[in-house]
Amino acid sequence: MSTNHDMTAIPLPATVIELRKLSDDTTLFRLRLDDAIAARRLKVIPGQFVQLSVPAGGEVPISLAALPGEDGALELCVRRVGHVTALLHTLAPGAGVAIRGPYGNGFPVTDWRGKNVLLLAGGLGIAPLRSLLHFLLRHRSDFGEITLMYGAREPAAILFKEELSELSGRRDMHLFLTVDFVSEEPPGGLVCHTGLLPGLLSGVNFTTENTVAALCGPPALYRCVVEELQGFGFPADSIFLSLERRMKCGVGLCCHCAIGELFCCTDGPVFRYADLRGVEGAL
Amino acid sequence: MAKDFLPIGSIPDFLDALATFGEVHGPLLTDDGVQVFGRIASPADLRLDYRRTLLPPKKYLLPPRETVLTYAPDSGYRPPPLPDRDIILLALHPCDLAGIAYLDMAFTSTEPDPWYRARRRRLTLIGLSCEPDEFCFCAEVGAATPGNFDLFLERTPAGFHIRTGSRRGEKILARLARLLGESEPALSSPQRCNIESAILVAVRRGETFPYSPLWDEFASRCLSCGACSLCCPTCYCFDVREYGLLDGESAERIREWDNCLFMAHGETAGGFNFRKNRRERFLYRYRHKYLGFGPTRGTLSCVGCGRCREVCPVRIDLLELFKEER
Ligand SMILES: Cc1cc2nc3c(=O)[nH]c(=O)nc-3n(C[C@H](O)[C@H](O)[C@H](O)COP(=O)(O)OP(=O)(O)OC[C@H]3O[C@@H](n4cnc5c(N)ncnc54)[C@H](O)[C@@H]3O)c2cc1C
Ligand code: SF4
Ligand code: SF4
Repeated sequence: MSTNHDMTAIPLPATVIELRKLSDDTTLFRLRLDDAIAARRLKVIPGQFVQLSVPAGGEVPISLAALPGEDGALELCVRRVGHVTALLHTLAPGAGVAIRGPYGNGFPVTDWRGKNVLLLAGGLGIAPLRSLLHFLLRHRSDFGEITLMYGAREPAAILFKEELSELSGRRDMHLFLTVDFVSEEPPGGLVCHTGLLPGLLSGVNFTTENTVAALCGPPALYRCVVEELQGFGFPADSIFLSLERRMKCGVGLCCHCAIGELFCCTDGPVFRYADLRGVEGAL
Repeated sequence: MAKDFLPIGSIPDFLDALATFGEVHGPLLTDDGVQVFGRIASPADLRLDYRRTLLPPKKYLLPPRETVLTYAPDSGYRPPPLPDRDIILLALHPCDLAGIAYLDMAFTSTEPDPWYRARRRRLTLIGLSCEPDEFCFCAEVGAATPGNFDLFLERTPAGFHIRTGSRRGEKILARLARLLGESEPALSSPQRCNIESAILVAVRRGETFPYSPLWDEFASRCLSCGACSLCCPTCYCFDVREYGLLDGESAERIREWDNCLFMAHGETAGGFNFRKNRRERFLYRYRHKYLGFGPTRGTLSCVGCGRCREVCPVRIDLLELFKEER
């Protein structure tokens, strides 16, 4: 097994073991590290990301969309948007990729014990929040109320539909979905509101007392949702945002991802709103 | 008295002795009239009276473009053979030594970078005292006192006082013994300025000059040519790309200098750009240079070499920010 330091510089080989198409442009890739010992040693904090290499394409930062499974498999939910992700989407089970990481701080889940957690996902932002939700549900008794609010562009863009309908049946959490607009297609049996995520927030009841909010979505989402949350009385240090930036190395060297004087890759990607307030260009 | 004086006439022998430790590089003038660091093939090439090179010595540690990994289906990603050339880099001014000290910190402290480290281990640094000109300001950023050298040459009219800064330096000096003479009378020690410069005061406060009209003024003139960052001894942003090779199976990953003044620096897929206008990109450069990012937060990385002030085609000078402050 390679040393820690090697893991930082050299991606470890992994194999695509399963694909699950989630929408037109987004697929869930299940991967397994070829080195079983490395796979077993992998410790993941929800909200962390890996650097995924697609040979001859390049390397991209991708959130871990789940905690490593019993079989050591990693789940990455990837949207096809450019050079590397397009090449990834051409792969079939058995194809070789490579991974380094996990990187970033992840959500401070140990500090959240005993608190209610409100998860707010917009679009692909569901990917890191899914690993957080899995963690919360796995340690269900450590937390208070768990609420997931998830907004997508249209019904067809809702990711993880089957899982969501399962979750909607659970009594130990609340699930609210919304779509920006309703197209022809029915939302597949899921109860779904219409409108943007901030609208959903003001439309439903949830506890703000002793609650932390975890938010991930497209860049335009943060400012309005944070405003909304503050309107409900959330203090700035109870709002956690998982941010995205252009990123090349993942280890604080290439200098593309700074937010103020913090690096998204090593100081984040999860930031407390209290640390971003007043930082030009943060949200 | 210590034997630490190298008479100017002994430079050719000095170069010969250095060559037994590695390839000797230093300041020279190219055929098209540019001061650069390059291979010193003969003593006549060496320009010890140079003012500053166009590109800083960072190119010895971070080549403008280098292969960092190769990929083959059966072996996965592997690093290419690491450089095995010993290089003696001669006549670095204190600012450039300080620049390398900063890169050392960035690339070897938290996440040691294997490629940087391999090159750094094989690089010997020999400093040279210098005379400031109208562009440089090392004293104002606290980089005037030489450090991070193996050997340092303090110039006098007749030659150089040599001092050592490392074990490696001592080893080299031992081999030079026969070239050295008795010290000349003591040098006047370098002048120290006790007043904290406007730059250091602002940096200590974490100043970002949010209300300065200069940001917009700079932004309106800047050509986004990137010269100021390219020539900076402490600018090290890099981009990473991967190319498939002709066999259709293997690939090569390279990293190359990137530039925060370029439009694409903050761009993500789908065309979203976190720093689409020049004002935002200037602020980004300022923050990195003067306030530091991530693990280098709180570290001023401008070493006052004056290159950016000299090369900017439209004479943009970040130092104006600090002047306004006073
Ligand atoms: C912490 C983090 C977590 C992420 N998690 C996910 C995820 O779970 N699923 C998912 O689909 N996407 C995720 N992304 C975005 C994903 O990294 C980009 O979509 C991807 O890099 C685009 O690469 P490309 O080559 O396909 O696109 P191109 O536009 O061709 O990009 C070329 C290069 O630019 C850089 N780049 C472009 N877009 C981004 C971007 N949005 N973020 C960072 N670098 C970028 C990359 O280095 C990329 O190699 C995440 C980004 C970050 C920073
Ligand atoms: S910012 Fe300008 S003066 Fe300062 S080290 Fe870089 S090039 Fe030299
Ligand atoms: S050198 Fe001058 S014009 Fe070129 S990017 Fe820098 S500030 Fe702009």
